[in-house]
Amino acid sequence: MLLLAGPGVLFILVTLLLPLLAIFMFSFWRTASYELYPDWNLDNYHVLFTEAAYRTFLLRSALSAVVTSLLCLLYAWPVAYFIARHGGRYRLLLVLLLAAPFFTGVILRIAALQGIFGPGGLINMALGIFGMPPIAALMYTPLAATIGHVYLFVPFMVTAIYLSLVNFNFDLLETAKINGAGPWRAFVEVTWPLNWIGTAIGLALVFIPCLASAVTPRFLGGPSATSFGMSLGQQFGETGTWALGSAMGVVLFAFSLLVLAVMGFTVNLKRSGFTGMGAR
Amino acid sequence: MTKADDRPASLSLQSVSKHFGPVKAVDGIDLDIGQDEFFSLLGPSGSGKTTMLRIIAGLERPTAGRVLVRGQDVTAMPPYKRRIGMVFQNFLLFPHKTVAENIVFPLRMQNVGRAERGERLVWAMKLLRLDGLAERYPNELSGGQQQRVSLARGLISRPALLLLDEPLANLDRELRAEMEVEIRRYQKELNIPFVYVTHNQEEALTMSDRIAVMRNGVFEQIGPRNDVYRKPATAFVAAFVGQSNQLTGRAEMVGPDSLTMTWRGHRLHLPHPDGIAAGDEVRFFIKYEDVEVTPERPAQGNHLGGRLRDIIFKGQTANYIVSLADGSEIIASASSRDQKVAIGAAVSVTWPATAGMCFKS
Ligand SMILES: Nc1ncnc2c1ncn2[C@@H]1O[C@H](COP(=O)(O)OP(=O)(O)OP(=O)(O)O)[C@@H](O)[C@H]1O
Ligand SMILES: [Mg+2]
Repeated sequence: MLLLAGPGVLFILVTLLLPLLAIFMFSFWRTASYELYPDWNLDNYHVLFTEAAYRTFLLRSALSAVVTSLLCLLYAWPVAYFIARHGGRYRLLLVLLLAAPFFTGVILRIAALQGIFGPGGLINMALGIFGMPPIAALMYTPLAATIGHVYLFVPFMVTAIYLSLVNFNFDLLETAKINGAGPWRAFVEVTWPLNWIGTAIGLALVFIPCLASAVTPRFLGGPSATSFGMSLGQQFGETGTWALGSAMGVVLFAFSLLVLAVMGFTVNLKRSGFTGMGAR
Repeated sequence: MTKADDRPASLSLQSVSKHFGPVKAVDGIDLDIGQDEFFSLLGPSGSGKTTMLRIIAGLERPTAGRVLVRGQDVTAMPPYKRRIGMVFQNFLLFPHKTVAENIVFPLRMQNVGRAERGERLVWAMKLLRLDGLAERYPNELSGGQQQRVSLARGLISRPALLLLDEPLANLDRELRAEMEVEIRRYQKELNIPFVYVTHNQEEALTMSDRIAVMRNGVFEQIGPRNDVYRKPATAFVAAFVGQSNQLTGRAEMVGPDSLTMTWRGHRLHLPHPDGIAAGDEVRFFIKYEDVEVTPERPAQGNHLGGRLRDIIFKGQTANYIVSLADGSEIIASASSRDQKVAIGAAVSVTWPATAGMCFKS
């Protein structure tokens, strides 16, 4: 048994734990002229918690992640529900279609959005033809960045909720209705709680990458949208302050864990119907 | 069939049909069910039983016709306003709610106060012998317990009507026999009409006051259980209800209330229903228990000589399988205690000229 588990454990150690440990270690080191020096100190964290800019970046990223998650939730539920309920034999095709943009890569998708929102983009060009002024709110603003995030991450959410709903026994809804629950009540009492785990996974899949997002705000967000992730990227690139960047990574990681833990508390396995699903 | 008292029937269906494209799942059904009735819908798979229940519950909108509950037209009313209870074959308990939460669910949906909910929960748990299970989750219950919880949920709001769709099909035989008796007891105690769907004729015969035998979306026969068993209206009902020998032959002499049929060279004297003329092909059904196996030839009635091939022990009764000279078989059912004949012995199968039913085929 142990022998069989060996390669798996080793793989996890090397690919997951080692980089994490390294970053954790570097965050207590010091960088000078693009070199890491192992003199242990807390300066990086001191800078992060005292300099207002980093706090702003983190709050901005967190806010953006919350808004994006909620928008994705509002969009994904009806879409996933419709596909699971009425998609018939096209269900899989529809879900794959939603994921189609994934086949092209992030940069291309963001560039496409830029081409739609930007000053010379489709929307503003069309407006120009009719002699109307361009929509400033869509050009290099946090709003544009949020729309970009929703566009990028919503397939994760739809997929997570869809996978939950295809395992949901819709007959339970009829039972609720016969027992006096109107459509909305039936949703609140039965559909939502029995699909909460899937929904929570979807929320995590959107929230966490959005919190760390760097590329989208850079291409779409303009000067007032600098995110925590963007700043983090700069530490490893332009400024070469690896130690500070590592500390930011640790903060990001801790924050994500916290969010996951809070979500974990909302899941009561017994109340999720997880084990009762067999009775179809 | 119509009730004599002047109260409106608890449930009325008026020429109700449901067509799924070319399939006539339910085809022009008229039905009145009284307040105190245990009514069963009996029929083979695909005969439209579930569709009919779903129409009554409001889960399916009929293509034509009207549904009335206590005199009120509910045809267009959504299911959650009808106050009808329903119990399913696969229980359909809410897996994320405890037994108690499952049972009081209908009361919560009707905004019944907490105190009354508690009282009625106690009542329902007692009625269905669920004491001590209130805090369990459905997946922590046995099949029989789950079915009782689902019955409790169907009954707790004292619905105008309880619909049951093969509620015992997933239970083992002993439990089923026990639940059959229990369910009938609840119905009599609560005085709520039950509409019970099954394809198991024994279940229907055990529990019901009245039975409708359904086929291809229409009633082949509807009547008291005794009539359905003793006086089948069609050959289909005769074959479907009870266990019968079926003999197909040609009518020869037709008298006012008897006829003579030739079957494999034997002349049989049979009761004569209207509509059969000499020369018609006739299907004759006789129930196993109406046939007797005797060691010697009887003085009167029909008799066929043969050899006792086997005795199938059924518990209280046994089936006696008799092979005739031409290889065909007739089965008789009798008490398993006094076996007058031994396997392999030459015997006679006999029945009176008035027993059984004939149908023109
Ligand atoms: N939603 C539907 N769409 C199309 N056809 C349907 C639908 N529901 C039922 N049918 C058809 O209607 C007929 C009656 O079905 P129904 O489920 O009422 O039969 P049943 O008597 O309950 O059978 P069983 O004993 O197998 O449960 C069948 O031929 C079935 O295929
Ligand atoms: Mg059915």
